[in-house]
Amino acid sequence: MVIKELMNRFFTVVADPYSEAKRRKEQGQKVIGWLPTDVPEELIHAAGAFPVGILGSSNNIRLADTHLQVWVCSLMRSSLEMELCGDLDFLDGIIIPQTCDTTRALSGLWRKVCRTPYVEDFLLPKQVKRPSAREYLTGELARIKTSLEQVTGKKISDETLDTSIRLFNENRQLLRRMFEIHTHQPGLLTSREVYTVIKAAMYMDKAEHNGILRDLIRALEHKAAESAGTPDSKARLVISGGVWEPPEIMDLIEEAGGVVVGDDLLTGMRYLTPDVDEERNPLEALADRQLNKIPFGGFDNQNYERRRFLLDLVRNSEARGLIFLHLKFCEPENYDYNDMREALNSAGIPNLRLETEVANPSLGQIRTRLEAFIEMIGGNPIERTL
Amino acid sequence: MSEPFKTVALMKDLMSRYYDLGEEARRKGIPVVWVTAVFPVEIIYAMDLYPYYPENFGALASARKVADKLSMAAEAKGYFNDLCGYARCGIGDAYASEHPVGKILSPDLLLCCNTQCGSLPKWFEAAARFYNKPYFLWDSPYIEEQTSDLKQNYLIKQLYELINFLEVTTKRRFNIDKLREVVALSREATGLWNDCLEMAALKPAPFGFFDACIHMAPIVVWRGRREAVEYYRELKAEIEERLEKKIYAIPNERHKVYFDHIPVWPKLRWFADMFAANDTLVVASQYTQAWAMNFDPARPLETLAEHYPQQFVNRGVDYRLKLKVDFMRRYNCDGFVLFSNRSCKPNSIGLYDKKRMLTEMTGLPGVIFEGDMSDLRFFSEGQVKTRFETFFEQLG
Repeated sequence: MVIKELMNRFFTVVADPYSEAKRRKEQGQKVIGWLPTDVPEELIHAAGAFPVGILGSSNNIRLADTHLQVWVCSLMRSSLEMELCGDLDFLDGIIIPQTCDTTRALSGLWRKVCRTPYVEDFLLPKQVKRPSAREYLTGELARIKTSLEQVTGKKISDETLDTSIRLFNENRQLLRRMFEIHTHQPGLLTSREVYTVIKAAMYMDKAEHNGILRDLIRALEHKAAESAGTPDSKARLVISGGVWEPPEIMDLIEEAGGVVVGDDLLTGMRYLTPDVDEERNPLEALADRQLNKIPFGGFDNQNYERRRFLLDLVRNSEARGLIFLHLKFCEPENYDYNDMREALNSAGIPNLRLETEVANPSLGQIRTRLEAFIEMIGGNPIERTL
Repeated sequence: MSEPFKTVALMKDLMSRYYDLGEEARRKGIPVVWVTAVFPVEIIYAMDLYPYYPENFGALASARKVADKLSMAAEAKGYFNDLCGYARCGIGDAYASEHPVGKILSPDLLLCCNTQCGSLPKWFEAAARFYNKPYFLWDSPYIEEQTSDLKQNYLIKQLYELINFLEVTTKRRFNIDKLREVVALSREATGLWNDCLEMAALKPAPFGFFDACIHMAPIVVWRGRREAVEYYRELKAEIEERLEKKIYAIPNERHKVYFDHIPVWPKLRWFADMFAANDTLVVASQYTQAWAMNFDPARPLETLAEHYPQQFVNRGVDYRLKLKVDFMRRYNCDGFVLFSNRSCKPNSIGLYDKKRMLTEMTGLPGVIFEGDMSDLRFFSEGQVKTRFETFFEQLG
């Protein structure tokens, strides 16, 4: 099948993200949502339920404003809005990971003002390098496992959990393979296409996603061989931040002459690395996946230096610059930003900070700033027809 | 606010001695340890280290109305004005060329507990990078309904990791018997502090929330030392003496109200006057009550791992509602005040709904106002005044 047709499938999914969840609900399967980030979907899957990401929407925020102050980030306000206006009525439950003060406070509020029958917190350890973190997290995962067993009425055996882990590992491996092809030949897919495939994985059945993704990779490999050696003039960029919202941001980057070849996003690389060790006790292996994830501002990163990580990422991706894509009012990012920027400046890596919101984006100014930045680092903007 | 207490002079002495000890520690090579307000400082005192409270610095800068200036120094560097006001003061002062409340004392070690919020760890991480000193996080998982063995074991394990970290970095030995003594002193001081706060329940009362805000510095920084015990013994005696002489916190107390959490430091006097003018005494707050802990010195590590992580700000909605309602009942309140403080997300998110729930639970009128505990750029006097006019009318 041609790449375009396969991509259409993924675009259809992200345009109507909950059609599969609703279909499964009608068939009697339980649907458990999760807020970003780090909820172990494998456990939901192994409990026989359908895991699905709740990632905000571009709709106006009205109802949530009577519950949340305007200085709460738009990702959480928009996700609450989705529930309040009935868009998430199909959910049997939601797991809210506590990664910042907003998610920590939101879980209690969700219990009080939303209709979701089952609300569970995922209480992640915030320090990730001391032995106590691993022991605690393994226990916390066991607690979530029991909680899911109670709500689904299905016991999670080690075998079913292993099967789920293998399925999700395969998904991560395929996504990484697609990304690898993209970084070698960024002309084959657009940045928005690459990240749409990743986002679709958060809404789709993983086995189905794996199937289409396998076809896509085959088609990409074929095309890559055909077009090997074709020079690419786009400016290679790394993106750092939470989520790539609004999605049009990816188009703007490409139109300004850039291409995204690396990231540390919750809805990007953080979702597809690392794998879960299949040879180990599954809960301990899930804990290790969490503790070995790439740095994110929500967790103590003194030992796993986020600055060093970003410098390495830019170098390994052979990127010409880095764009911080920060959600307005995102505290973890806003505390880390200054030191990350200084490290990039000292290393001579051009960087730009863009502040976006999930709902009601105004993109005019962002376009201008992107064009100026990419022109400065030597990209060639695509001719725009107005 | 009451007429100034005699003990204020004593407190001023005590606080300048605390700051002098910091300078002395620096000269003598005693490690200066940054700690958060709700942190088992008892371990630091038991190891004869000097604990320094950057939040106290933030509150001081806020009360002196210079938080905006310090914050702008942080903002000029690349920090953002939507971050916690205390953090902006601390980070700003590190970069500022002028130090309107004296220079923040630089740390040799940084210890943080995230019971209070996720802001403190991020601030301390940034400071640890700035000063290039070791940092340790005592990670305290949220308690939605009740704590569990899993969480308590994690907290205890981390205390052992903390002690090991301190022994290695400071080359000093930790002694559990010494800790027991310090915890006993903490308990005595927090008990006396609680006695002082309880006197606000009398009608009319000789002591209220704004007095507590003035007198709380020693329970924060001297907790675990004999000085705190002596100070609150004096304060308690003076409050009792005032009661005998019929000297009350406000001249004509008609109403009592509960104030949720932290005051707007640069407007402390303004708020106190506004309440007094409306014959209303603010009698309690979960904020000042946070240091009324009842430790068990026989189980020193366990008791620390129970009391600090179980503070209200680390608890779920129902617990916090009940806590507020209990205060309102215990202090015979006629209404309540909620502060939507943009500098304190964990306490402020959810207040819009809690206002409605609290009125349902108690039948009492409430008011919610927007602002920032530190920074007057985010405080609209007119708007807040209008809100309170309605509230005072409801109180009658």
